Amino acid sequence: MKSLRQVATMCAFIGALGGGASAVAAVSETPDGGKEATKDIVLKGDAKCTRCHDESDNPKLLAIGKTRHGTIADSRGPTCTSCHGDSEKHLTSPEGGQDRPHPDRYFGKNSITPIEERNTACLTCHEKDSKRSHWMGSTHQSRDVACSSCHQIHTAHDDVRDKRTQPDVCFTCHKEQRTQISKPSHHPIPEGKMGCSDCHNPHGSVGPKLMTRDSVNDTCYTCHMEKRGPFVHTHEPVAEDCSNCHNPHGTTAENLLKARPPFLCHQCHTPHGGQVAQLTGQRQSSALLGGTTSGKSGINYTMARGCLNCHTQVHGTNNPSTTNPTPQFNFR
Amino acid sequence: MSPLDGQFGIKKIIALAAVAVFGPAHAEDDAADMAQLTKPDTATVSVGAAAVSGDSKNRSLFGQYNGLRKDDAYLLLDLDYIKRDDATGIWTILEGRDLGLNTREVRFLQQRQGDWKYYGEYSELVRYYPRTINTSLQGAGTTTPTVTLLPVRGTGQDVDLKTERKSVSLGGEKWITPNLMFEATFKNEDKDGARIFGRGFNCPSGTAPTPACTALAAGANQWAILLLPEPINSTTRQFEGKLTYVGDKLALTAGYYGSFYINDNGSLNPTVVGNLNNPLGNPLGQNGSVPLTAGLRGILQLPLALPPDNQAHQFYLSGNYAFTPATRATFKLGYTHATQKDDFASSGLTGAPAGVSNYGGVVNTTLAQLGLTSRPLPKLSLNASLRYEDRKDESPQAQYNIEGVNTFTNGTYSLKKTAAKLEGSYQLPANFRATLGVDYESMDRGQFSSPECIDLGDGSCLGDSVAGISGLRAKTDETGYRAELRKSISDTLSGAISYVHSRRDGSSWLMPNALPATGVTALSDSAIFNRTGIFPMIFMDRTRDKVKALADWSPIDRLSLQFTLEDGKDQYTAPTQKGLRDTAMGLYGVDVTYAVSEAWKLSAYYTYSEQTLHVSHSTGYIADLKDRNSTAGISLVGKPTGRLEVGADLLYINDRNIYAQTLDQLASAANAAFLAQSGGLPDVTFRDLRLKLFGKYALQKNADVRVDIVHDRQKLNEWTWESNGVPFAYSDNTTVGLNPNQNVTFVSVSYIYRWR
Repeated sequence: MKSLRQVATMCAFIGALGGGASAVAAVSETPDGGKEATKDIVLKGDAKCTRCHDESDNPKLLAIGKTRHGTIADSRGPTCTSCHGDSEKHLTSPEGGQDRPHPDRYFGKNSITPIEERNTACLTCHEKDSKRSHWMGSTHQSRDVACSSCHQIHTAHDDVRDKRTQPDVCFTCHKEQRTQISKPSHHPIPEGKMGCSDCHNPHGSVGPKLMTRDSVNDTCYTCHMEKRGPFVHTHEPVAEDCSNCHNPHGTTAENLLKARPPFLCHQCHTPHGGQVAQLTGQRQSSALLGGTTSGKSGINYTMARGCLNCHTQVHGTNNPSTTNPTPQFNFR
Repeated sequence: MSPLDGQFGIKKIIALAAVAVFGPAHAEDDAADMAQLTKPDTATVSVGAAAVSGDSKNRSLFGQYNGLRKDDAYLLLDLDYIKRDDATGIWTILEGRDLGLNTREVRFLQQRQGDWKYYGEYSELVRYYPRTINTSLQGAGTTTPTVTLLPVRGTGQDVDLKTERKSVSLGGEKWITPNLMFEATFKNEDKDGARIFGRGFNCPSGTAPTPACTALAAGANQWAILLLPEPINSTTRQFEGKLTYVGDKLALTAGYYGSFYINDNGSLNPTVVGNLNNPLGNPLGQNGSVPLTAGLRGILQLPLALPPDNQAHQFYLSGNYAFTPATRATFKLGYTHATQKDDFASSGLTGAPAGVSNYGGVVNTTLAQLGLTSRPLPKLSLNASLRYEDRKDESPQAQYNIEGVNTFTNGTYSLKKTAAKLEGSYQLPANFRATLGVDYESMDRGQFSSPECIDLGDGSCLGDSVAGISGLRAKTDETGYRAELRKSISDTLSGAISYVHSRRDGSSWLMPNALPATGVTALSDSAIFNRTGIFPMIFMDRTRDKVKALADWSPIDRLSLQFTLEDGKDQYTAPTQKGLRDTAMGLYGVDVTYAVSEAWKLSAYYTYSEQTLHVSHSTGYIADLKDRNSTAGISLVGKPTGRLEVGADLLYINDRNIYAQTLDQLASAANAAFLAQSGGLPDVTFRDLRLKLFGKYALQKNADVRVDIVHDRQKLNEWTWESNGVPFAYSDNTTVGLNPNQNVTFVSVSYIYRWR
């Protein structure tokens, strides 16, 4: 009986050892009393980091495994120290001691790692990409914006790379645009159908204001190509810069216009007609009544489409007609 | 003593035996948990239903783009499939968003990291014009609408305009060698629908002298303004191919970008049947007037040109070069050949100059850009860039403009634009960085310097006439100076403050020569030719001053505050007393983020902005326009229990546009009396209060139920289409309206199931 019990005990113990091997064999004690992992958890060579930063410490860090960075089959892929540095002081500091030094490179909000050094970690791999060829000297680079200011690495969902959540990241700094996109006339950004990066390349570009294409107009034409022309009768400020008249982020006036006609048009054109802006339902004097019977009345160039009620082809017209009324004033 | 107790500790034996049996299962659970933390593989379906309150007019602002305007109930369907083969590194991704709505998107991608990638996307987007048209127009949205006078305003049919975009994108990339990559993308987008458009004309008119538009014997004018929706049936195609070489120092991309616009519609050809209303809203022909004249009817029925087909082809080289790790250059050289040769006749457009079948439009643009960054000293960084763009409009000229006996050519638009920047940054103690910069921009529109003309062979030379403008300018130059102080690295306080000052001036103003002469004449400012004309604001001298400040403060770990301030003013001058005077903007805001606990996070913000614009109108009044906007938001997200996640988001917008008009000494008595009596233009106000609530409950480990509630209250009071209860009516009694107070409640319930 005694021997049977001993055998049973031994079998149970061996079974326990076998069953629990996968659970406990990854960690063993080091001479200094710390934990030493013998197996990587998520990235190649991460064992020295994940001996502490494992699922019980901060499971969210391991989410890097869900990303392109965590694709082990890609030989270019990083390990922890590729971005955070070798960090010997951080690694060898005794456990339980106070004020463990930070890693050589860290990216949190209160990090004192110089911005350029943080960005070097990313650019070592990511500058080999035509989309980031103009990063150096770009507005964000020269204003000390870190890659990690916008990008989240230890997560499966990087907010800035999803057009539904991207604007909120940009609004961290760009407050003016935050107030504009919810105005009645807007691009479908609040609806999650467009993101800031549909028009802007935050990594640098040749165009002004970090436009994705080489100019404001070329960027607008990617969706509004009907405005490109050239037309028989050109409206020159249109061909020069769409933002002469439009604010693409949002306006209360229709069609993303910076101001309503006639006020918009009166910034360039001497108006015809001698009336102040007028509305239906306002009592006009007899002296102005004649004005209301004219096509150029104060009501006609204030209400509805304003000046465009007649000068409808404001972007230019390809109408070649040489018969009256000739289209050069954008009537047709 | 328990029967389970024994000499060795039978309990221990049982415990060890239990580990022997269940140990492997426990290890498997651990492995599964670890996979959940580190593997991207997921297959998720979210299916649900949504209901929206009100009707489509009450949802016109809320439902502009989100596909929730027309119906009261919707199917919600999203799906996600992600699989990564760890052995090969091949990703397979399938995403479907809003599959039950007309804003659906589907994306499929396969990629072997570091080797190849290909993807396909399909997306739909519908934009509903928020206002409803009430009309008797037949064929609205077609190329041949028919206009008839609606007897009583407001009794026509309601027409809602929309534009639908459906796009297909394909793309791929391949690393041919470790240093050479090829990428290609193609996008085809079909756009269909209609948008608000129209025409109007006044008889008699200088642009339509007799006999086309005859003055009435009684001396009364006839005019008509019609709403004619522009029919949209077009396709845009974009293709881009790039070959990129990446070496140790050089990264170079050679690329081609082609873009093509095809419009199925060439012209809009309305028919006007019967009579129209006079300017006072009564049918023409009453009180001594005459019904719609043949002359005006004929003008209203002339074809309106719709956007022509056009193409552009760009070839470019771009990239960067690292002279040293601290000195790098970026560059781009590009050439674009754009054409527009849409046949006039097949577009339904007649009357072209003899021998001209299409415009023959050609615009060639050369772009060159060079940038240099360097760190000559450890603490000093320099940044310089130069960009030159030369747009040459080489479209042929022909006699397109004829007014009576005067003939003119078409105009073309060429532009040379140069932009340069030089900036130096120096790292100061305590993590401060100071930056000084100079920016320069020059625009040379050259063509106004001498009139181009067609030699008629009889000694005369037809040129480009300039009309509709008081003055032109061939060149403008702007130089700006920038100073900035920044602190990016800090435990508690970081931020930046900058100041920009720039001045723009240019070459001599050019006076358009009086008809029948063509071209322009340069005049000095002292030889003012029109003190009451408005000179285009894009040419005017301008002085700009702007301050911008941003501060991030974290007094404690859990609390973060951000303060924003922007203030700027542009002042404009030209040799005139009229026109744009100045514009200004100010923005002031605060953002707060507070981690209430590990499970709860609170954020809030408030921003106030004001924009002003002063324009002196040449007929005696000054427009003082202001846009005042307050936007505030508060958001709370948290997990009250391990299974429940909740969130609330409140947004408030208060926007007021003020259209003040004051009079100067040139104002007429009638204008003065009118402003005194009417008070001028009312403010345009927009308010939005939007509450979003969500709750997500984990039914089990791989299944959730989610409830979303949105309550949106929008108020838009504008006088564009109606004022004091009186609508603006087109000559056929068409009116356009918007429900000014729109309250919408959206409720959805979704079931989310995940497979692993």
